[in-house]
Amino acid sequence: MKILLAEDTRDLNRVITVALQHEGYEVDPVYDGEEASAHAFQNGYDLIVLDIMMPKKSGIEVLREIRSANSVTPVLLLTARAEVDDRVSGLDAGADDYLTKPFAMKELLARVRAMTRRKAEYGAGELKFGDLTLDADKFELTSENSIRLSVKEYELLQTLILHPDRDLDTGYLLERVWNNAPDATSDTVWLYISYLRGKLTSIASSVKILGERGGSYRLTLQPD
Amino acid sequence: METESIYGDHLPELEAVKNRLLAEIDTLRKTVKDKYGMDPVEHCLARIKSEDSMREKCRRRGLPETTESALMEIHDAVGIRVVTSFISDVYLVRDYLASLPGCRVVEEKDYIRHAKPNGYRSYHMILLVDNHVYAEIQLRTISQDTWASLEHHLKYKKTLNQDTNLIVQELKRCADELASTDVSMQTIRDAIFQIQKDKDR
Repeated sequence: MKILLAEDTRDLNRVITVALQHEGYEVDPVYDGEEASAHAFQNGYDLIVLDIMMPKKSGIEVLREIRSANSVTPVLLLTARAEVDDRVSGLDAGADDYLTKPFAMKELLARVRAMTRRKAEYGAGELKFGDLTLDADKFELTSENSIRLSVKEYELLQTLILHPDRDLDTGYLLERVWNNAPDATSDTVWLYISYLRGKLTSIASSVKILGERGGSYRLTLQPD
Repeated sequence: METESIYGDHLPELEAVKNRLLAEIDTLRKTVKDKYGMDPVEHCLARIKSEDSMREKCRRRGLPETTESALMEIHDAVGIRVVTSFISDVYLVRDYLASLPGCRVVEEKDYIRHAKPNGYRSYHMILLVDNHVYAEIQLRTISQDTWASLEHHLKYKKTLNQDTNLIVQELKRCADELASTDVSMQTIRDAIFQIQKDKDR
């Protein structure tokens, strides 16, 4: 796990760096907004910790740059106690969490663990259900044969696999997979469910998606 | 001295079976087109295996180069490839040919449902026609045919010798992507049919 730490107070930067390294993280410490931005665009990180008040560029400016480049790396903001507006604009700009200074190192480490865990669970790697393996790196779905999925097919199936044997209604899927995009309707969900059904059959899987057009869908194991 | 054909004097029978099967496929195309307004077949190729390839195949299989081997032991003297529009059309043509009077399916392999490890997808079937001529039928969609043709054109196995691992993997990825599009197009066609049916009701 690799973390970018942007904090201009040298002593605090040093303390956090050592604490994170002690927990086994690899840390790139930087001391102003420009450096933070340059590093964020040059390297891949599992987490970025940004102080808001920094020379050259504020943490929020850096955050906006990162997000406008479509990066979804989790970001933890460090804010001063009084800056309520900063916290709000930080979260609105795409921060995942914030921590108010002064903070206990214990709490910082717990938040870092929580945020990197989320990525490990839902992000890359492989998801399995029944005879299915869904590979996040290749968008490949494998049972007896394999087939490639489109982005939306992948996200829809990922959501179904993360909630196996549970009814997921069309509204939830529209929100979770399509972010409530204005051109997405219950027919869109139905068509993508139909694509996935065809693709499950084509790889000879015994996993089925139950449910009717406009209603709820359920991923389940149903050998023929 | 002229060498005798490995097929003896049976070539006209082979031609007749080839032409009959082609005519049957044409009939099916017309019927389906009249009924649904869509031709299930994109194109159709037929051949009698050449003298040289047949002799080469006998040698490869360790068989004597005789008419008996060419007609009875080897089953692709007559070969027909039907390239269809959609996946469901493969099975439509398969069912039609299998149910023709005088035709018996002696072997079939569904490499569409059970793709080969390299990604190859196609439906193979050996028909015995009128109890004396074998014909090999290969059925596949346009995308599956595209992959098979292009993969064949690359001839990477000879030029690269070893180190083909990455190439094989990437070709399989292409096959899986094409298969994905095939399934999506089939799903879209089924959806259109369903909408039309709902309207007509």
